[in-house]
Amino acid sequence: MRFSIFRYNPERDEKPYMQAFDIELKPTDRMLLDVILRIRDSQDDSLTLRKSCREGVCGSDAININGRNGLACVTPVRELKEPVELRPLPTFPVVRDLVVDMTRFYKQYHSIKPYLVNDEAVPEKERLQSPEDRDKLDGSYECILCACCTSQCPSSWWNPDKFVGPAGLLQAYRFIVDSRDRVTQERLDDLTDPYRLFRCRTIMNCTEVCPKGLSPSRAIERIRLEMVKVDHGEGGLALHRVPPIR
Amino acid sequence: MNRKHTALRGWLVQRVSAIYMFLFIVFFLTHFVVDPPQHYAEWHAWITSAAMSIATAAFFAALLAHAWVGLRDVLMDYVHATIARVALLGLVGFGLTTAGVWVVRILWTRHG
Repeated sequence: MRFSIFRYNPERDEKPYMQAFDIELKPTDRMLLDVILRIRDSQDDSLTLRKSCREGVCGSDAININGRNGLACVTPVRELKEPVELRPLPTFPVVRDLVVDMTRFYKQYHSIKPYLVNDEAVPEKERLQSPEDRDKLDGSYECILCACCTSQCPSSWWNPDKFVGPAGLLQAYRFIVDSRDRVTQERLDDLTDPYRLFRCRTIMNCTEVCPKGLSPSRAIERIRLEMVKVDHGEGGLALHRVPPIR
Repeated sequence: MNRKHTALRGWLVQRVSAIYMFLFIVFFLTHFVVDPPQHYAEWHAWITSAAMSIATAAFFAALLAHAWVGLRDVLMDYVHATIARVALLGLVGFGLTTAGVWVVRILWTRHG
């Protein structure tokens, strides 16, 4: 199977280039990450990428696969069209090869205060929630911050420093609907300027590529409805089936 | 809704204007399918009736407001230099205002 992989070592290369690798698949090669690691171990040990859990939980091996962002560890390698083009997450500064700098992404994530704010007296055990209130968090708390969505979002490409991006806004929604949080209005007010939330044009690339089947665009729509006090229905956000990368 | 909420207001304007334009177009086309005017005088009387004049004017007001918010958003996305953005926004505003004046002239000028 033929792979074309983005290579760039800022200490050595003047500019990035695509390098071709040929490798015969073994019966044990199921996911793309298995093959990338074999390429690294057998052909070029300088090939750099992030990975950790190898089962779609940590989100560290998010890359651009044949033009679409996804997690290498949960992408079936035999379904991919050859040559398989692997690139780092689009528009993120490249550190080396497939590793990108996530600083800006985390800065936007932190800007929405991704934690419960509740100044009431701390209960003896825990802050309780009704099962119905807990259901509202479904479809938003599962985000693994892989950045597949934000890196594939045109609104984030145009204004990465001002637009929070789909991942951050999904997390903003997660805390806006949390019944235990006490600063809901402040959270909404924080997003009313023309850039932080309203740069979203509902292009929905974020929902299309989310490897966990989450829908940041639906969360963004619900935040807007919260702002105008329009009922958006009870319950959490529905998960969807992730279309396979070809 | 203060100045801080201009983005929310723009978003609302675009949604509400889209709904109105959709309903108007459906009504307009339905009228032509169900009860088409047989000659120019009949069409002219229909379109210049008080209710239709107001509805048509509201349609173009919605269209211009929708276009303004949309084009303003596109310029905010792509044009980051303040001078260029202000100039282009001014150009768009001038173009849309001219179109609005033209629409008013057409709607309120009675032709035999």
